Amino acid sequence: MLQILIYGAVSSAIYAMLAVGFTLIFGVARILNLAHGSFYALGAYAAYVLTSLLGVPLFIAAPLAVLIVAGFGVMMERFLVRPLRSSQLAVLMITLAVSLAVEQALFITFGSEYRNVPSFVADKLSIGGVDISGQRLLALVAGVLVLLGLWLFIQRTRLGAAILAVSQDPEAAQYMGIPTNRIFSIVMAISAGTAALAGVLVSPFLTVQPTMGLLPMVKAFAIVIVGGLGSIPGSIIASLILGYSETIVAYLISSSWTELVSLVAVVITLMIRPSGLLGRRAAF
Amino acid sequence: MKRIAPIDIAGGILVVAFLALLPMFAASNYLTGVLTVCVIYGIWASSWDFMSGLTGRENFGHSLFIGAGAYTAGFLSSIWSANPWVSLPLGVVIAIAFSLLVGFPTLRLRGPYFALAMLSASAILQRLCLIFWEYTGGEEGIYGLDPLMKNPLHYYWFVLAILAVTVITLTLLARSHWGLLLRAIRGDEATCQAAGINVTFYKIVSLMISAGFAGLGGALYAHYQLQVSPPLFSVVVSITVIIMVYVGGIGSIYGAAVAAILLTLLTEMLRGFGEYRLWIYTLTLMLILFFLPNGLIAPLWRRLTERLR
Repeated sequence: MLQILIYGAVSSAIYAMLAVGFTLIFGVARILNLAHGSFYALGAYAAYVLTSLLGVPLFIAAPLAVLIVAGFGVMMERFLVRPLRSSQLAVLMITLAVSLAVEQALFITFGSEYRNVPSFVADKLSIGGVDISGQRLLALVAGVLVLLGLWLFIQRTRLGAAILAVSQDPEAAQYMGIPTNRIFSIVMAISAGTAALAGVLVSPFLTVQPTMGLLPMVKAFAIVIVGGLGSIPGSIIASLILGYSETIVAYLISSSWTELVSLVAVVITLMIRPSGLLGRRAAF
Repeated sequence: MKRIAPIDIAGGILVVAFLALLPMFAASNYLTGVLTVCVIYGIWASSWDFMSGLTGRENFGHSLFIGAGAYTAGFLSSIWSANPWVSLPLGVVIAIAFSLLVGFPTLRLRGPYFALAMLSASAILQRLCLIFWEYTGGEEGIYGLDPLMKNPLHYYWFVLAILAVTVITLTLLARSHWGLLLRAIRGDEATCQAAGINVTFYKIVSLMISAGFAGLGGALYAHYQLQVSPPLFSVVVSITVIIMVYVGGIGSIYGAAVAAILLTLLTEMLRGFGEYRLWIYTLTLMLILFFLPNGLIAPLWRRLTERLR
């Protein structure tokens, strides 16, 4: 029981880190970023290159990897997405093209074999009789801290207020003197950064390989649909629901069936309440 | 119904005749095989174009229908050793069933739900194929399907005939009142609704038609390869089809089919590049998005034949 509680929390935290970035960039810039999974994969590979190949110490490598991927995201938004923003369709296509290009680039450079990234914390901890690796616990703690930080940033700072304003009405925000394009870049950096951080944190205990981004991204879609497109609290709640129900299914039935959970959740949501738990109006 | 210009009919007949005669000049099984794959891609691309090109609802998981048709053929022919001709109609039926499963909850809605759901569904189905490997053969897939015809050349002609029927049917549908409604939905869904058109019904039925032809193509592909494997469900297949439609000119159907044939031939020539092939594909897509948003084949054909209309 406690095992479900802890492991469910870990996967929820990872899902939440992915889903929040995805929903944020959609809520603010109306960009449906199909390359979100590649940020996750790039984060993991950046951690691998920095630690295993270049021998950078872990606690420098992790933030560095996040920064690199955030930079990549900003570049993508600036040079590929922004010129095509007038058409929602073209944005979908270009981000999908980017995600495939990244996957192929990783495949060509690193091959399809699994890569290992050393653990950040080697110790195993025991909570109430449940053994859990320090790395998973770190992912949980980091996830909670990042989400909390993000919430405070959006609710309490001037920049956060600007982001909120743009998400409500980009045109009016522009009239008030908010540089919308710069806000888009910042939000893209945050979005790519959180996805990359999730990738870095899971890299020691999940397999690092070129196609690793696709399935987590599909999960992020599911979470965002269940939680409501563009709503951050919604996607956090949905992450908890999905993370826990997957863990429960894995324990009670078999881990093979976990993949179906997100599909069923999406279908039920779209049938009963298409706008998601906390629909579009409550963007934050 | 809008009249189809004689020059278009003449051009179509010429292209089909040329494709049919092509293997006669260079009698090699290799060329026939490549052309068969080209033509099957043509079926996939034109079926994608019918739904997504006309209504503007981007389907990012066409491989779901392709794979459904192919795996139906695989199960029927290899595991239950049914007559191979049964797989074609059943492949169509199963693909249509999948289209209802995804289309019914998502096409009622506006917004990106349909695109996301299609992409997710195909990715998850690919994963399920690997997880339930006892039944689906996992990574290796299902082997030992029976061929529909012994002679590869005859099979090529058969597939080519199906492509011709597909393109003609879809073009006639697209030019009918029905197609006009679909294009109207693309233009302004709210206005269509206000005019009393049941937009959801039209979108779902056009997805069913699109899925049916894709499933047929999938079953044909399975009976050509004589095996099916999980990569049929992959996003790569879907995106390849979408790139073909974009190159052909979205919404034109014939353009998609011609682009599919040309691009598959081109890919075959690029085989030497090995793993760089998909890179070249995605770069093509990016260039087209930026510089040729209307595509290449259909606009080119229209310009060339402008005076003959």
